[in-house]
Amino acid sequence: MSNDNEPSPLAWTDHIEETLIAALLGVMTLVTFANVIARYVFESNILWALEVTVFLFAWLVLIGASYCVKIGAHLGVDIVIHSVPEGPRRILGLLAVAASLAFCILVLIGAWQYWLPFVGERAWYEVNDIFMPNALQFLAGWLNEGERWEKLPRFIPYFALPLGITLLTFRFLQAGWRILTGRQFSIIASHEVEEVLKAPPLEDRID
Amino acid sequence: MSVVFLFAMVILLLLIGVPIAVSLGLSSIIFLLVYSDTSLASVAQTLFNAYAGHYTLLAIPFFILASSFMSTGGVAQRIIRFAIASVGHLPGGLAIAGVFACMLFAALSGSSPATVVAVGSIVIAGMRQVGYSKEFAAGIICNAGTLGILIPPSIVMVVYAASVDVSVGRMFLAGVFPGLVAGLMLMAGVLVVAKVRGLPSQPRASLGEFLGAARDAAWGLFLIVIILGGIYGGIFTPTEAAAVAAIYAFFIANFVYRDMGPLKDIDGSALGALARKPLALLSVWFHGDTRATLFEAGKLTIMLLFIIGNALLLKHVLTEERIPQAITEVMLAAGFGPVMFLVVVNLLLLIGGQFMEPSGLIVIVAPLVFPIAIELGIDPIHLGIIMVVNMEIGMITPPVGLNLFVTAGVAQMSVMNVVRAALPWVGIMFLFLILVTYVPILSTWLPTSLMGPEIITSR
Repeated sequence: MSNDNEPSPLAWTDHIEETLIAALLGVMTLVTFANVIARYVFESNILWALEVTVFLFAWLVLIGASYCVKIGAHLGVDIVIHSVPEGPRRILGLLAVAASLAFCILVLIGAWQYWLPFVGERAWYEVNDIFMPNALQFLAGWLNEGERWEKLPRFIPYFALPLGITLLTFRFLQAGWRILTGRQFSIIASHEVEEVLKAPPLEDRID
Repeated sequence: MSVVFLFAMVILLLLIGVPIAVSLGLSSIIFLLVYSDTSLASVAQTLFNAYAGHYTLLAIPFFILASSFMSTGGVAQRIIRFAIASVGHLPGGLAIAGVFACMLFAALSGSSPATVVAVGSIVIAGMRQVGYSKEFAAGIICNAGTLGILIPPSIVMVVYAASVDVSVGRMFLAGVFPGLVAGLMLMAGVLVVAKVRGLPSQPRASLGEFLGAARDAAWGLFLIVIILGGIYGGIFTPTEAAAVAAIYAFFIANFVYRDMGPLKDIDGSALGALARKPLALLSVWFHGDTRATLFEAGKLTIMLLFIIGNALLLKHVLTEERIPQAITEVMLAAGFGPVMFLVVVNLLLLIGGQFMEPSGLIVIVAPLVFPIAIELGIDPIHLGIIMVVNMEIGMITPPVGLNLFVTAGVAQMSVMNVVRAALPWVGIMFLFLILVTYVPILSTWLPTSLMGPEIITSR
């Protein structure tokens, strides 16, 4: 996209994030598919399939939103910023970043307010169907007065919210810095659509 | 008045270049902080539940994924070959085949830009080679691509169904006839232009070529059977159908068409290639192409659902403030009948569609106009189809016409040139919008006759 011409020392984080996004979507699809197979071939439902899928869905979008800021993939209206000269354009860019950061900070406060009770006084609160893996039971000693959970405690899937918005805040700060230093001029997708230009070579039979 | 403030804030933020999702979210949060005593924690909860609480929306990532596998996996190519073999001999044959290919791809994919990319990247170049102008090629594909959201499956229909609680299956069925009519209208338009301007036609395909093309495309087209047959046969829910479609497309792309994945470039029959490299059955799951396609689909999903999640926040604000009820009262007091009401809906969506991404706009507008529609006795399914057709037009008119931008990329033209090229065909889409709006039976006949009359749960 617009801002990745120089090789970044942090390219490995890109790789991790892209793989994470791919993996989350892949696992969601497989779990849903497996549930269909289970129903028709083995005549039983995978009880936890639905709940796992919706939580993975939330993780995908909330964690992925920050990566989309990094690569400038979020959609927006670019008609004004394309029709003003460079100086005002940078100011608009910074205003847009400021608005985005305001959004992040408000949601971040809300996310922590919402999530903290689930690790605190409501640590006993479990999800409906997903079993708690044994490997994670050590958390019980820290958070649940030593009492083991039968099902996954809610603070684990809900952690997507504070984590995702924290990352989002960080990415908007980064984007703001890049606009300030003139390496980028907006935080929304440019409409040059470079990616879809991977047009396949013209087939011989269509002539 | 407070609502005017809300929408003014959204538009202002949009214009200075704030991402759509953030514009919707920030405006809603500020509104809630100023006008109500909602806590930020409940805002966060609404955002989380937008994903974890909406089983219907879950169909969207799966449809996007299926469509990605089909675009990279060569399904589009086979469909185009089949389309040319069937209608290429008509005057303006390649253009008509382009429309037909868009219709077929639309029946596999739920998104318009994806349809333009998949079909346009091959057909536009092909049309230029046989002497069509770039503008003509881009204009027709840009318009025909919008059928992606009208012919089932459709992401926008899933969003509509989720936001007003109607059945996704019904919406899909309702799109079938309007989709066919829109496609035929575009084809008729091409035919007229072709006669007047004497556009070239392809040699009539031999029976062998036709059958060969049909057999080759059948693997891809079988997806239509899986999706629609599966849903209406009661085999699976629309969400599951989407997941099955994604897995099926993955296998077709990797093992049958072999345009991606570990068996790429290995000649011979599908089974022969697999026999020579049986490890592919394992390696395909971790192959670079698989990862890249999953990532591309994931990115689109995130982009789209981040907008939808924040639009749901705005919807939450509107329902909390009882705005839909207020609007209903005003409109009914003004003595609006169904006809006037539909005109207003059309205008609202056409204007809104200039600035917003279609799914986000549907999430916001659908709950606003839904109660009035019910009050006036308009079928909710019909209303949904009208909205979808409006969104189609929004995608081919500036400034935020997604299809325009995608076409500009595919055809390597400037956006302004694509706008001009698409304009004559937008006229046909407008005619079609009027037809769909005032002939409800076009949308409602198929779902009603297959699934029984719609039961309207009054709200």
